[in-house]
Amino acid sequence: MSFLSRFYSSSLGRKFFVAGAGLSLCGFLVLHLSGNLLIFKGPGVFNHFAQTLDSNPFILPAELILAGLFLFHIVIALIVRYHNYQARPIGYVKYSAKGGRTWGSRTMTATAFIVLAFLIIHLKDFRFGDRSQGVYHLVVSCLKNPYYAVFYIIAMLSLSLHLSHGFQSAFQTFGLNHPKYTPAIKKLGYLFAAVIGLGFSSIPFWIMLGKIR
Amino acid sequence: MTLDSKIPAGPIQEKWDRHRFDLKLVNPANKRKFEILIVGTGLAGASAAASLAELGYNVKVFCLQDSPRRAHSIAAQGGINAAKNYPNDGDSIWRLFYDTVKGGDFRAREANVYRLAQISSHIIDHSAALGVPFAREYGGTLANRSFGGAQVSRTFYARGQTGQQLLLGAYSALMRQVGKGSVQMFPRREMMDLIVSQGAARGIVCRNLVTGEMESYSGDAVLLCTGGYGNVFYLSTNAASCNVGATWRAHKKGAYFANPCFTQIHPTCVPVSGSHQSKLTLMSESLRNDGRVWVPKNPQDKRSPEQIPEEDRDYYLERRYPSFGNLVPRDVASRAAKAMIDEGRGVGPTGLSVYLDFSDAIKRAGESAIREKYGNLFDMYHHITDENPYRVPMRIYPAVHYTMGGLWVDYNLMTTIPGLFCLGEANFSDHGANRLGASALMQGLADGYFVIPYTLGGYLAQAKLPKLSSSAPEFKEAENLASEKIKKLLSIKGKKTASDYHKHLGKLMWDYCGMARNAKGLKNLLSQIPEMREEFWKNLALTGSGEELNQALEKAGRVADYLEFAELLAKDALHREESCGGHFREEYQTPDGEAKRDDEKFSYAAAWEFKGVGREPALHKEPLSFESVHLAQRNYQ
Amino acid sequence: MKFFLEVWRQKNAQSQGGLVRYEVVGISPEMSILETLDVLNEQLLEKGEEPIAFDSDCREGICGMCSLVINGYPHGPEKASTSCELRMRHFQDGQTIIIEPFRAKAFPIVRDLVVDRSAFDRVVAAGGFVSVNTGNAPDANCILVPKDVADKAMDAAACIGCGACVAACPNAAAMLFVAAKISHLALMPQGAPERDARVINMRAQMDKEGFGHCANEYACEAACPKEIKVSNIAKLNREFLRAVVCSDK
Repeated sequence: MSFLSRFYSSSLGRKFFVAGAGLSLCGFLVLHLSGNLLIFKGPGVFNHFAQTLDSNPFILPAELILAGLFLFHIVIALIVRYHNYQARPIGYVKYSAKGGRTWGSRTMTATAFIVLAFLIIHLKDFRFGDRSQGVYHLVVSCLKNPYYAVFYIIAMLSLSLHLSHGFQSAFQTFGLNHPKYTPAIKKLGYLFAAVIGLGFSSIPFWIMLGKIR
Repeated sequence: MTLDSKIPAGPIQEKWDRHRFDLKLVNPANKRKFEILIVGTGLAGASAAASLAELGYNVKVFCLQDSPRRAHSIAAQGGINAAKNYPNDGDSIWRLFYDTVKGGDFRAREANVYRLAQISSHIIDHSAALGVPFAREYGGTLANRSFGGAQVSRTFYARGQTGQQLLLGAYSALMRQVGKGSVQMFPRREMMDLIVSQGAARGIVCRNLVTGEMESYSGDAVLLCTGGYGNVFYLSTNAASCNVGATWRAHKKGAYFANPCFTQIHPTCVPVSGSHQSKLTLMSESLRNDGRVWVPKNPQDKRSPEQIPEEDRDYYLERRYPSFGNLVPRDVASRAAKAMIDEGRGVGPTGLSVYLDFSDAIKRAGESAIREKYGNLFDMYHHITDENPYRVPMRIYPAVHYTMGGLWVDYNLMTTIPGLFCLGEANFSDHGANRLGASALMQGLADGYFVIPYTLGGYLAQAKLPKLSSSAPEFKEAENLASEKIKKLLSIKGKKTASDYHKHLGKLMWDYCGMARNAKGLKNLLSQIPEMREEFWKNLALTGSGEELNQALEKAGRVADYLEFAELLAKDALHREESCGGHFREEYQTPDGEAKRDDEKFSYAAAWEFKGVGREPALHKEPLSFESVHLAQRNYQ
Repeated sequence: MKFFLEVWRQKNAQSQGGLVRYEVVGISPEMSILETLDVLNEQLLEKGEEPIAFDSDCREGICGMCSLVINGYPHGPEKASTSCELRMRHFQDGQTIIIEPFRAKAFPIVRDLVVDRSAFDRVVAAGGFVSVNTGNAPDANCILVPKDVADKAMDAAACIGCGACVAACPNAAAMLFVAAKISHLALMPQGAPERDARVINMRAQMDKEGFGHCANEYACEAACPKEIKVSNIAKLNREFLRAVVCSDK
């Protein structure tokens, strides 16, 4: 294991871990979103899907791995952030960053915290919430509250912003930069971020519009 | 003292081989007992430091800048010559040797030049092995181009940044040794004095430029690799920190200074735009391969260049030198430009420039081919002038660029002080009165990689060097003298800054000792320099202290040296009553305005011995004999 | 032209610094920002004040010595230019220009605008070379290097080691500098034998010097006066991954 620990202790290695965990989480987002969108099929289908998932014996280990991935991604990213902060103890009076800096890259830490806060509330309300009347009911009753729905949408748009940088950035970190493919990867990253953000947001939006009840 | 150049006996082709055999060797186990001090980290210094450390010597290296990689070799653009004959176009060691001796207008030492040509190929091999990304052909072999007046393609290059890439190669070799601990690197240090003990160079005193402290280092030999003195003209293509300090201070300790009047004016520089200009920028000579130099035929023609039709243009280099055309050597091209401007046919807002036009080349080869070859140079020109050279002709004017003169050294690169060696541009060596394009990089690296590793060993193996600690009285005394000089500079509290004096001196030097010189002007100059020097020491404006980073103080110290050195340069120019290479005396020219040498009287290297500031220096002559190349007037027509 | 310069003044590494406002007049558009500072320094000297310390040497954009952050941009707002190449015609008459030193923990301030960039030298000393002694080399044409490979290596090798990438990076990372050297030597066949050790050692030294992590924001590429591409950083990442995963180092 010594090579892994050495790998971790290097700046490049840490970035690989953050990127690797991040991309894996992107995969999870796709699964999660596909499940969520079943809500548009009505309570029967959605609740059945939720029950099937809950009754799967592998769901607990999968959740534990997922939680691990999240923690790993967050903790290492925070360590990276701390090191970065240390690397420039005295800042500029005037700093006019340019280049590939985007809203997404600039706000990575902020969006991360918003998503984290959301995640905690989300877990409390949905994963560990009262599922006795079916998950469909739980979702609709929560998101009927306009404050909750707006918070939900803001969090998802933050996630989208986070992904707009994170997705393509991971490829660069893995060394996958090529004049032929990188422009496509960047576009794909934006598309992915948009699909995830809009996809998740569509549910509270629809509920607020009263189309799902 | 008589000058012994220590040229080995035998046929010229065998001299270096025989000499390497005759030189004594230092036992490998003993090498680490020797401490070598190297001042300067340009091509010569970095390559010498790396090579000597590889051999096992203990090396200490000093440089002015924050990193050894910044030395001004980095700015060399065009290329490096080598007698590889890869293009199969008739090159050979002999031809490179011949071209260099002839290009130097028969004022170089034949044996040195032959050795340089012999070594040239190894430099390319070694640099390529270090990972220098030389330009390549599609098949993967090295590309060559013709350069600076050569009729064969023997110049290797890395875009327009050959100096940078070669220096970074040598720097990487140096840093490898730093990483191994065999070289200790001392950046931001200025050599204040040379320590000579019992007749041999045994150490240096440096000022730590950050703390201002004086530091003493003792060693068994000292290598000065500190570049040229072009900044005595204030405006030159040299970097701001290039100075004559180290060599001048060594000269004051007994090292003879040879041929200081051999200065090179480079024909293709961006013209001067205003009085605040701090430096001139060179446009690589390689541009003359594709660019055509011209001025309007009529001095009154004030049309913009693209409006001047072909028949109203005077492509004066092609007219005057039909066989070499735009590729005549630097001194010839510079003087021709001066002649055009003296006729009032100069162009641009100041009238102090000529056109270098690429429109024909762009028409012939296409803009992208030109961009590929010269892109970075065109961009640089665009940055400076705000004019796009792909659309309008460049404007160029000659500027001081390189100095062939320097500390006198023998065949072993040792100065007249035993144990003090001088490498690269800092010595007077191999270029005679004029250096050919792409030969400076060759000489710097030849000295460092392939000459000094042998000759230094030869010296150390036979020298009797008693232990000398850096706390010996010689060092303390030199430290005190250096500190006193600094205190003195700081205590003047006058009105004029060092830059004011430097500018003034530079203007005088350019006017009276620049592209064309005459006895009257030189005498006038010689009467003004001592006055200026005296005023400098009475009216210098300086602030701050000597115990901190004080860049104005550094500058003042260097200007003080120039005010002494300029006098020697002018004296040498006055004494050399002939025209040769970069030294053009108006009294000595052929009817069609070409340089006229006087081989009867001046076929020698003039080595000057210091006798005191303001005192007449003593002239020592090293006669130059030409056995392999026949003396002839250079003819590029 | 007339300008107001707000320049960072700091006596030495230990003391506190701050911006000081100066007015300079009589500046012509073709002067560089460094020549403008020269003019200001001459005025200060004549007034008996201490001139502003700043690094510069070749003044033609190749030595990498100059190191100013001008209005928040390392080497100023112009693309592909060093401070010494930045002409005053790019500013408006009467404009205020803020000049600060490069800021990074690994580049401690020496005085005013002068910083210590010896960290870069130590990174190179850790592996930025080919281990070949003088005299060892075979004929240069023994090792063929395809033209496009040599061109790519040259693109990376054009780095002047100024440190603008570090200054521009929001995290003061030195990735572009290190990547340029790794990429150059990894592309050249001459660099191949030490490929793995080089990337591992240079990376380790880079971290030791206290540079930050790369966040792929590419501010470095935009600031680089020699337009070194961030694809080199990807190459560095690849080389590192290869060395750690595939080699026995």
